[in-house]
Amino acid sequence: MSLTKMTRLPLARLLSSIHLQQQQLLPLLHPSISPITSIPRRCALHSEYRRPGKPREYKRPWDLRNFDFKKAVAVLKEHFTLLQSEVHDRIVVGPEGRPLIEHMLEQNRVVWEFRGPESLKEWTVSSDREIGGQSEISLTLGKHNTCFLHGTLNTTPPRDGETRYSGYCTVRSKQPKYSFDRKKHHDWTSFNSLHLRVRGDGRPWMINIATENYYTHQKDDLYHYFMFTRGGPYWQDVKIPFSKFFLAQRGRVQDDQHPLWLDKINTIGFTLGDNADGPFQLEIDFIGVTNDYAHTEEFAYEHYKKNPEVKSKLS
Amino acid sequence: MKCSRCLLQLWSLRPLGQSAWPAAHCVSQLQSASCSQPTVLYQSQNQVLRRFHSSPVRTKSRMPAEQQQKNKSLATIDDMFERVSDDAKVKDTFSKVLDGFMKRDVRRRGHVEFIYAALKKMPEFGVERDITIYNKLLDVFPKEVFVARNVLQLMFNHYPRQQECGLQILEQMEQYGVVPNIETKVLLIQIFGEKSHPVRKYQRVMYWYPRFRHINPFPLPQKLPEDPVELSHLSLSRIANDLSAKITVYQRPRTDVGENGEEITSPHIVGIQSPDQMELLAKHNPNRPVFVEGPFPLWLKKKCVHYYILRADPIPFEEKVEEPYDPERSFFYPLQLDLDLERDFGEYVTFDVEDVDEGPVFAMCMTGQGDQVALNQWISGLQLNNPILGRVPTLFRLNAGPRELQESGAGSASEKQREKHPNEAEPEFIDEEEPQKRQAMKP
Repeated sequence: MSLTKMTRLPLARLLSSIHLQQQQLLPLLHPSISPITSIPRRCALHSEYRRPGKPREYKRPWDLRNFDFKKAVAVLKEHFTLLQSEVHDRIVVGPEGRPLIEHMLEQNRVVWEFRGPESLKEWTVSSDREIGGQSEISLTLGKHNTCFLHGTLNTTPPRDGETRYSGYCTVRSKQPKYSFDRKKHHDWTSFNSLHLRVRGDGRPWMINIATENYYTHQKDDLYHYFMFTRGGPYWQDVKIPFSKFFLAQRGRVQDDQHPLWLDKINTIGFTLGDNADGPFQLEIDFIGVTNDYAHTEEFAYEHYKKNPEVKSKLS
Repeated sequence: MKCSRCLLQLWSLRPLGQSAWPAAHCVSQLQSASCSQPTVLYQSQNQVLRRFHSSPVRTKSRMPAEQQQKNKSLATIDDMFERVSDDAKVKDTFSKVLDGFMKRDVRRRGHVEFIYAALKKMPEFGVERDITIYNKLLDVFPKEVFVARNVLQLMFNHYPRQQECGLQILEQMEQYGVVPNIETKVLLIQIFGEKSHPVRKYQRVMYWYPRFRHINPFPLPQKLPEDPVELSHLSLSRIANDLSAKITVYQRPRTDVGENGEEITSPHIVGIQSPDQMELLAKHNPNRPVFVEGPFPLWLKKKCVHYYILRADPIPFEEKVEEPYDPERSFFYPLQLDLDLERDFGEYVTFDVEDVDEGPVFAMCMTGQGDQVALNQWISGLQLNNPILGRVPTLFRLNAGPRELQESGAGSASEKQREKHPNEAEPEFIDEEEPQKRQAMKP
């Protein structure tokens, strides 16, 4: 890694500044055994992670495609029905398929609600297994049809000679799409806070929001903030203003911060990486956005001069 | 080239003697000037013909001593820590090793390797969270040597290995949650200059860390209490989320010697119940069972504890009673307003979500031993304040290991059956017993 990159802060460590954890050997407990709904895979949209020492694979573009006439017909049919409903919604009903008055006056919106197995299809899970780690994560339905995220965190780094730290589990929503695979974005400009109802086990999580970018070098930009769970049998309402989110690229906090633009939100994700080996669980009831009138802050992180003078007391 | 080779041949033919020296000197110089030839070792003279910029004078005088020193110094870095580790791995010995290295050589030869070795050894000595040790480690770097003097040096990585090493120190501090102090800053500026990478990193750390230091809304003390009763006190008050909740210690951990001389350890039992929960329990329909469920995990920093809850199934729709508000409960403001105003969408501030109805939670407890004996004791302790528990059947739904809050799939089938026939005599089933009787049964 280059020097300039090394000097940036890894944001997972920001948590370690919060709790100066003591190294304690905790009894490794068995996780609750339940079927893994999906095989952990990379949820990033773009390229696969290539492990150190693995040769690069070159594939011709047409090798990646699977040509099949039957499938093509089915896909076309599906997309045309989608297109039809889109046109109908926009012209007959109103913007985003809702009446105009509702669209204009809404104060809060439930974006993801976990009720039933259909709602889990919009999410992908991933863990450090893809870089050679040993963490496990699975996403299942809870008793009351809520989302139930559980697994085991393991911080043993992979033995490839390069990777030094490991231990994360993450879940990420899928990119919503219009017909013919055009990207669809969440537009949250009329809201200023994220609202979640969760029930955790006392572990801190990180919320990642990905926005649409123009340049390809921004493809790994994510906005992060932390979510702390109380633990216990009660549901907990978490409200996080969007002004608190900070920009990081590939896990390194950037110097040049700017507020999160809410007009084109692609995905939201949750990451656990608190360096504590053992089982974890998180239940999510719903994820919504709300307009909090009491919150007026635009951006929580002030700017300083690009090249600040360091005043040394030596001379 | 050719002439030098001739000279060499000539010289090698000569007999040994005092007169050989000046010639050898000359040859070695010639040799080093023309270089690229493999160096020739003259055993008889104990002299090496060195490569380009070493002077033969130095070679002659220093050779044997330096060879020894070198062998030693390669081993010392790891060895220095290993040697002291025999007596005691504490902070004092660690800093003694650092002092030893500082005193050994003014030029601090091999300091990068030394620092890497020291960083690796820090957790062994238990100093990985000690800011003074980190500062001392930074002090090993020679000062003002690696400072960039012009723009070009600043632009490119000036002394990259040393800067990487400095960054590694800061990274390890980060990993263990150590916040650098002003001394670190002064040292970094002295060593690497004001706009070097380590100083940049220091600035970033000092910008971001204070911002996130206190964002946890459920803070925990720096060091968790060792005593299990205190720890359960802390965790129960955390999960109950109710300041009026009352914590009761039903039993302190103790070890008794029984009649037969065997040791009987009784675990700690700590419970929590709020007035609201007591009220809910008092209203509970005695024909429906209550459940003791658990253990559920709770993480406090890196420690995992487990708790148990007493709960009931959600009240079915037909049994729900809408209680009218008592107007005398609050004299200051009305608890219920029946105004018929025109409302529009702009005034709805609640989310349009179905509520998850899971049934009420009546009490929570933590115990050192999650078996039924301990939990029975908890229930009988609860019964003193909640007399209804004597009439309500109590079922135990316990798991060996930690599990999810709601059981799903195969595990719940047998429990469902049990729920259907709560009046059958089952081992878990406790029916209308006096608390005294139950306690008497216990060893």
